[in-house]
Amino acid sequence: MKSTTNRIARCEQSIAGLLWNGTWLASALVTAGIALGATHDSWSFVAPGLSGYNVMKTGVAFFIILPIARVALMLVMSLRERDYVYTLISVFVLAVIAAGIMVGL
Amino acid sequence: MDPTMVFWLFAAAFGASALGGVLGMASGIFIVPILTLLFSIDIHVAIGASIISVIACSCGSAAPLLKRRLTNIRLALVLETATTLGALTGVFLIGVVSNSFLYGLFAFILALSAKQMLVRRREVEVADISRPNVKSLATVLRLHSSFPDHASGRDVPYQVGHVPISLALMYGAGVISALLGIGSGVLKIPAMDTALRLPIKVSSATSNFMIGVTAAASAGAYFVRGDIDIGIAGPVALGSVVGALVGARLLMGLPADKIRLSFVVVLSLLAVQMLLSALGVQLLGESA
Repeated sequence: MKSTTNRIARCEQSIAGLLWNGTWLASALVTAGIALGATHDSWSFVAPGLSGYNVMKTGVAFFIILPIARVALMLVMSLRERDYVYTLISVFVLAVIAAGIMVGL
Repeated sequence: MDPTMVFWLFAAAFGASALGGVLGMASGIFIVPILTLLFSIDIHVAIGASIISVIACSCGSAAPLLKRRLTNIRLALVLETATTLGALTGVFLIGVVSNSFLYGLFAFILALSAKQMLVRRREVEVADISRPNVKSLATVLRLHSSFPDHASGRDVPYQVGHVPISLALMYGAGVISALLGIGSGVLKIPAMDTALRLPIKVSSATSNFMIGVTAAASAGAYFVRGDIDIGIAGPVALGSVVGALVGARLLMGLPADKIRLSFVVVLSLLAVQMLLSALGVQLLGESA
């Protein structure tokens, strides 16, 4: 029982780390995108291919990917523990999200 | 991107998120009315921006709650099967329902939130944990757990109630989340309090944890469809996440009861305004 509790606690810490760092990264990309967009005229001659809009778009995409990555992480963790019921549940959730994206395409 | 517009979008999302944080509620429900009524942004664009901010807030606030061991991650995953299916349904529906319907539905959800905010949540009676129902889905899926009570310094065990009923309610919450770009806490909380009979702290943390995945299911579809206006969604998401993390701490000293009452008033006013928009009457802004 104790070891199960410890295992779940370890999983929770990994998920917390993923979500925390991911939020920081996505927020930093959106901030950079806004800053690059606002100062576009002063640096665009240095890197003409770079646009604030695209950096911000990457940040927004990161926000969307983050919870999906969290389910994928839970899938890996349940697989590692040979907990096939939760592996199946994780696969189902990921499949529904994938179906939504396919519908959008 | 107009820097002034970016600033005001950031500031509006920051304010809504910071104030919402004081009461432990997500700011998602305020973003769409703010964008449509104050910024005269099309409701579909507003929903796209709001859904991103909902994900950002959920992810940003999940880590501290996980570290305090308040989130039941297994239960969240089980319920996400229903919320994501609901979100998928919402993605199909949003293409066929009219703007008036969306405004009307939003008005209803705002009114429901105002009503819910008036009634303070009471801790439900925890079921007798010594005799778990061995046949219940919650037992089969090993959902019963415990959370640390900081006052007593001990772990408090709890049992998870009726999973099938809550799955049905969560499906509805998923549909509403995708249609309106909100976290649907207003629908999840009654499901978790009455059907699952979870302790309030566990229910709030688990609901917040699920919101990100539910919202990602519809946001992913809207993103690839090109329905998300990045110039609006970016500053709104950033304002919301900063507001949720920093703002709530800054406003910690404010009297929660007074904020609660003012929120009831604001939610009711927004409900009336959204209802008027549904009927084609616009008092604020220009477009409906």
